[in-house]
Amino acid sequence: MSIVLSADKVTKVFMVGRGRAVTAVKELSLDVREGEFLCLLGASGCGKSTMINMFAGFTQPTSGQVLLHGKPITGIEPRCGMVFQSYALFPWKTVRANVEFGLKMQGKSAAERRVVAEGFINMVKLTGFEEHYPAELSGGMQQRVTLARILAANPEVLLMDEPFAALDAMTRQVMQEELLAIHDKNRKTTVFITHNIDEALTLSDRIVVLSARPGRVKAEIENRLPRPRHVAAQLKPEYLELKARVWSYVEEEIQRHDAAQRELEA
Amino acid sequence: MASTPTAADGGSTTSASPRARRGRRFRPVLLLNVLGVFVFVGLWAAATELGWVSPIFLPSPVAVAQEGQKLLSTGDLWIAVWASSKRVFLGFAAAGLVAVPLGILMGVWWPAKALLDPFVSLLRPLPSITWIPLTMLWLGIGESQKIMIVFMGSWIYILLYTIESTKRVDPMLIRAARNLGANDLAVMTNVVLPGALPGILAGLKVTLAISWSCVLSAEMIAAQTGLGAMIWMAKDWGNLPLVLLGMVCISITVLLADVAANWIERVLQPWERNKRD
Repeated sequence: MSIVLSADKVTKVFMVGRGRAVTAVKELSLDVREGEFLCLLGASGCGKSTMINMFAGFTQPTSGQVLLHGKPITGIEPRCGMVFQSYALFPWKTVRANVEFGLKMQGKSAAERRVVAEGFINMVKLTGFEEHYPAELSGGMQQRVTLARILAANPEVLLMDEPFAALDAMTRQVMQEELLAIHDKNRKTTVFITHNIDEALTLSDRIVVLSARPGRVKAEIENRLPRPRHVAAQLKPEYLELKARVWSYVEEEIQRHDAAQRELEA
Repeated sequence: MASTPTAADGGSTTSASPRARRGRRFRPVLLLNVLGVFVFVGLWAAATELGWVSPIFLPSPVAVAQEGQKLLSTGDLWIAVWASSKRVFLGFAAAGLVAVPLGILMGVWWPAKALLDPFVSLLRPLPSITWIPLTMLWLGIGESQKIMIVFMGSWIYILLYTIESTKRVDPMLIRAARNLGANDLAVMTNVVLPGALPGILAGLKVTLAISWSCVLSAEMIAAQTGLGAMIWMAKDWGNLPLVLLGMVCISITVLLADVAANWIERVLQPWERNKRD
C-alpha cells in the first residue's frame, strides 16, 4: 500500500513564557498508508494534537518534515481536512451552508453544492435540519455537521482531533459506528487522535502509541480484530488481550510522565 | 424527517420552543415596570400639587403635560425632534461609514493599527464639546457644524468597538475556513465580518446614545432648532415645564432609536434566534 502522509523526524518546540522551551514532539517519524484508519493514542500532553496540527499545516515543525505524497506541507493544506474537537462550525451559517462551504470555496455551482451537501447531510442523518443554525443543535448533531462538512469538501485525508471527546458515552458510541460505516464506504485515509483505548481499538486498522512528552512513537500495533467491534466483541478474549497489550504501553508512559512531573515539582 | 437522530443524541431540538425552554415561573416584569412609573409620577404630582416643592424648582407633571399638548398642537415639538434626529442620524451614519471599515482594517492588519494607534489614543479622551470652537470656526453654526460634532464624538467609539470585535473572532473558525480552502477574501466575508458583527452592532448601539448627547450639547451652545436648543431657550425664558418636556422627549426619542436598533440587530443576525445555552 502506498504512503499518503508521513512525518519525517519531526520535532516541534514551543516557546512558553520568557525563554522557556517545551519540546512537544521529538524526532517523530510516522507513515500513514492509503485508505487506512490510523489511531494516534496517547495521554494528554504527549504532543498528539501538535502532530495533527502539523499534518493540517496549521503549525510548522521546528525541524524535520511533514509530507503529503512526498511533498512537504508548508501552509494550511485543504487536502488534509480537519475535524475539530470543538466542532468549529460557522455559527452564522445554517447546517446546509456549513456543509456547502468547502464546495463553495472550490468554486462549485450552487446546484451542484446543494445536491452534494444534501447527500452528506443525509449520510450523517441530519435530513430535516438543513435550515437550522449550529447553536440550535445538540453536541452530537453539531459534530455530525462537522463530519458532513469535511466529507463534502472531499479532502484526501481526514484528520480527526479527538472529535468525540466532548460527547456523552452513548452518543459517542453511535458516532463511532457511523464513522466506521462511512469509512467502510469511502475508504478515506484517516488519522484519528484519541486518549481512549477502547475508542482506538474499536475504530482503527492500526494504533500508534505516543510516548509522554516529548512525543515519540512508542509502539505501532496492527489491529486485525474482526469488525464490527462493539459491546459483544469487546468482551472477547482477543479484544481484551490486545487491550492489555496497548494498555501496558500507555501505562508505562503515564508512570514516566508522572515521575517527571513529580521531579519537576520537587 | 424520517430518520431524526434525536433519540441517539439524547435530546430533541425542534420540539423545544423558546417559550418552553425558558421554563421559569411567570414573572410580572411589565406590571412592576408600569407600577414603578406610576408611583414615581404620583409622588411627583403630590409633591408639586400639595406645595411641598415650589413650582419654580420643579413644575408639576400636569404643567409638563400641558406644555407638551401645546407644542404638539403647534407642531413645534415634531420640528425640534426631527431637527435633532436628522443631525444625529447624519453624523452617526458618517461616523459608522468611516469607523467600521477602518476598524476592521486595523483589526486584521497590524501595520494599519500601529500607524493609527497614536491618533486614536490622543483623540479618545477629547469630549465632543471640545470640538465646538474649532468646528464653529471651520463650518459656522449651520447644520454641518452640528453633524460634525456628532461625527467627532462618535466615530472613535465605533472604531474601538470594531477593532476589538474584529480581533476577537475565534481563530479556530479562521483555521477551519482555510482548511476548507478559503482564501483571504473568503475568510474576510465568511468568517471575520459575520464573527465581528455582534460586537460591532453592540458598539453602534452604545455609540448611538453618545451621538445623542453630542447633538444636544452642540444645540445648547449654538442652534435655533432641535431639542437641545429648545431646552436651552426655555431655560432663558424661565419656562421650566418646557425644560422638563424637552428632557422627556430626549429620553423617549433615544429609547425609540434603541428599539429600532435592536430590531435591526435581530434582522441582521438570524443565527442568534433560539440560541441553546
